[in-house]
Amino acid sequence: MKKIISLLILMVIALSALSIAHADPEQDRKSIIKFFETRFVGIPLSEYVNGVYAYDTIGRESWEAIEEFPPYEIAIEKGQDMWEKPFANGKTYTDCFPDGPAIAQKYPHWDKKQAMVMTLPLAINQCREANGEKLLKYKKGSINNILAYIAFESRGKKTHVVIPKDAPGALAAYEDGKKFFFTRRGQLNFSCATCHIQNAGNRIRSDNLSPALGHTTHFPVYRSKWGAVGTLHRRFTGCNKQVRAKPFKAQGEQYRNLEYFLTYLSNGLELNGPGSRK
Amino acid sequence: MKLVIKLVLIAILGMSSASILAAVSEKDAGIAIAAAEAERKKAASVDSEWRDTGKIIKKAQEAMNKGNYEKALKLANRAEHQGVYGYEQAMSQKDLKMPSYLIH
Repeated sequence: MKKIISLLILMVIALSALSIAHADPEQDRKSIIKFFETRFVGIPLSEYVNGVYAYDTIGRESWEAIEEFPPYEIAIEKGQDMWEKPFANGKTYTDCFPDGPAIAQKYPHWDKKQAMVMTLPLAINQCREANGEKLLKYKKGSINNILAYIAFESRGKKTHVVIPKDAPGALAAYEDGKKFFFTRRGQLNFSCATCHIQNAGNRIRSDNLSPALGHTTHFPVYRSKWGAVGTLHRRFTGCNKQVRAKPFKAQGEQYRNLEYFLTYLSNGLELNGPGSRK
Repeated sequence: MKLVIKLVLIAILGMSSASILAAVSEKDAGIAIAAAEAERKKAASVDSEWRDTGKIIKKAQEAMNKGNYEKALKLANRAEHQGVYGYEQAMSQKDLKMPSYLIH
């Protein structure tokens, strides 16, 4: 009898672990929100758009002071110029993005035609390519200006990542991004989740680790460490290097799928980019 | 007298081991670098290459070009281990397992 009970318990444990590993996106999101609600009691979900400053009260004071004279302001202005200045063929970004410039909430999304996750930087470059313009680099430089302008104009819109059920590739891309997020990599054997879920709020050297929830709402970000505004994929690159893993190509499949998963977690949260960070 | 014999023997042993260490050839270093590169590629094929593996191989190559085969061998061996561990790391997580702190 005891054996049967033990076997049943083992089966239940195995089944519950299996069900979460293959949970649907909404279950994943709720499970992670529940984790943070338990870890940081009393912090409303809407606060996570402020990243680490949702719970780092000392750091928040300096951050709020910085935000009074935002270091990304110049990038927004330059981005507006880019948006308005016609390409050599006379067309503008508005021809590619008729609903623009407040379009950040539409990205990333599953592009059915190209059967891949489409991110905003990639869409910007596809627009430029279609209009005979030089492609922008994906980590540093002027791409951040136009992204900063679009992010600024999109403030207040809500993250709304859709994983269409009639496109199996979309769910596969989401699952791929999720696997990336939970996979330990590099010489230090850390996963994204090790820092940004399990140890969110703990210190790593002098820094307080930020929560995965809300990570994507405030990009592009001016980082004091960079002395410039940088893209989300630049940040992914930095994180991978910090755990001593070889980073992947910005806007390559791995990082786009990771962005798809990570942004989905923030569904319903307000966009508040561009942001500033240490 | 016995002490003198002992000292002579120790000296001979020391010299012979030193000559063994110095006997790393260009061929040995080249083989080690090729092995390291193969392991690096294997780890990269499963998206699990470590940050410094390629850089270490490059340094090993540079050491070999300068004729420092011993250093080249040492670096190549380190890079090879990184490649092996990187691949094993990915294989051990082939199937996604959610961490226990998320299982309610």
